[in-house]
Amino acid sequence: MIRLARDVFFGLVIIILSAPLIIVTGVSFNQRKFMMFPPRGFSFRWYAEIFEKSAWFEALMTSLTVAASAGVIALSIAWPTSYFLWRYRITYAKALYAVGLLPFALPPVITALGMLIFWSTVGWVGRIENIVIGHGVFLVTLPMVMISLGLESIDREVIEAARTMGADDRRTFLTVILPLIAPYMVAGFAFVFVLSMNEFIISYFLGQFATVTLPVKIFSQLRSGYSPVIASAAVMFILLAVTVFGLIARFGDLPKLLGAWKPSDR
Amino acid sequence: MSAEPSSPTGRTTIGRYLPIGYASLMLGVFFLIPFGIMVVTSFYHRVGSTYEPGFEFTHYLRFFSPLFTTHLWVSIKFSVVAAAAAVTIAFPFTYFLSRYPRKVQVTALVFVLCVLSLSEVIVAYSWSVLLSRPAGISNLLVWLGLMDKPQSWSRGYWSVLMGLTYFNVPIAVLILYPQCTRLDREITEAARTMGASPVRAFFTVVVPMLRSSIMSTSILLFVFTMGAFVTPIWLGRPEDWMYAVLIGDQVLRRGNAPFAAALAMFFLAVTLVLVLVTVRLGRQREAENP
Repeated sequence: MIRLARDVFFGLVIIILSAPLIIVTGVSFNQRKFMMFPPRGFSFRWYAEIFEKSAWFEALMTSLTVAASAGVIALSIAWPTSYFLWRYRITYAKALYAVGLLPFALPPVITALGMLIFWSTVGWVGRIENIVIGHGVFLVTLPMVMISLGLESIDREVIEAARTMGADDRRTFLTVILPLIAPYMVAGFAFVFVLSMNEFIISYFLGQFATVTLPVKIFSQLRSGYSPVIASAAVMFILLAVTVFGLIARFGDLPKLLGAWKPSDR
Repeated sequence: MSAEPSSPTGRTTIGRYLPIGYASLMLGVFFLIPFGIMVVTSFYHRVGSTYEPGFEFTHYLRFFSPLFTTHLWVSIKFSVVAAAAAVTIAFPFTYFLSRYPRKVQVTALVFVLCVLSLSEVIVAYSWSVLLSRPAGISNLLVWLGLMDKPQSWSRGYWSVLMGLTYFNVPIAVLILYPQCTRLDREITEAARTMGASPVRAFFTVVVPMLRSSIMSTSILLFVFTMGAFVTPIWLGRPEDWMYAVLIGDQVLRRGNAPFAAALAMFFLAVTLVLVLVTVRLGRQREAENP
């Protein structure tokens, strides 16, 4: 009885969470330019339009470029920050780590405004590199926390063993630490990539209508009138997330990455 | 391991500190300095659609204007209700999730992560479709015979609230998940053997044990919701516009960066106070369950 009630509640939440996504997917297959559910007819033309219409395609390419470069930048900042904290435990590393946690704790609109005013002061506005750096810094928290999790889980004895066998710092780093940490770095990159693809407010503030990412394009399209391409673009975002997180779950330990542990682990 | 004498070659000493120097530079120049500039800008003097250096409290004095107070009040109302609703749904959900077999957990987590990662633009758009007349949920109710004609519910207080709650649920699940997995199964089992019903055990054992987690999650969701931008614009009417919309409107449409900066400073102060409260709650939590 109770078990059934539990399963019903659990299932209901899943259904409510998926309802808008199911309807959008349905709408994206409409044959004509109407927002109908269930769809009338069936067609892939709204998907094709993303690749054919230059404005949509440009926005897609901008988003992909931003997401990939932001992933690299976020990793390049996250890696030394977590490594120094783990390796030397100095106050400075702790402080830097705390700064890296900040972007995640603060409302993104504040970060976006700060960056906008910064770039206006510098006199370099609406550039794609502003968004790339913005996302790289804004999303640094996730890879930083994940790499730290990975470093903490390394058995110190393994490193001692490497040293006893005569490996210097550099060699230990390249042959022992790096391979053990690589999965966490890949996961961190993937999280930054997906979240950067979806990020709206920083792209909107920093793009200044000169550089348009896909979410910004959807937003301005929503304001200027309905287009079924919005639905098909939304479905592509859903597919991207399913693929990336599915792969992480398939090849990595997702519950552990998200901070789960059993009481017996203590 | 502590810092030890560097290798014989001097090159490695510089090489060792180069990465951390780079990380500091990036975070300093592109995150901390922009904050500093924003603080300074909030005191600047506005001229036409631009601004010039100065020191005045004009923008802070506007906090007493109805423009500010109405938007703030609307945001607080939305954020409190949406945070409470999301935690009410997410807490039992996460607790059940953490008791399921690992395979179910992983699948559900992938799903929750997908929903979480979706852009606010996409969530707001999806809700507007779900609540619309031609494609929306009212068609289902008509089909079931509960309504006569499909209706549009896509703009107003309730649709904004639903959108915000939807946005918050996956965040709440992921914050609560680690705490729920740490909860020892034996404790609830003990309550059961002592004769408590599962429902009773949940409310008298599980909820009190995770009380500080629930509190800090609610506070974080409140902060997140205060920053909602697209949802109130797309699912609401102008009277539902929240604080972040006001900031965006001031800086992007009216070119009033100093006032937007002052608004952001207020928001920042509120956020920092609330985040410090959650950090304290976290310490308390660790003290309770060492």
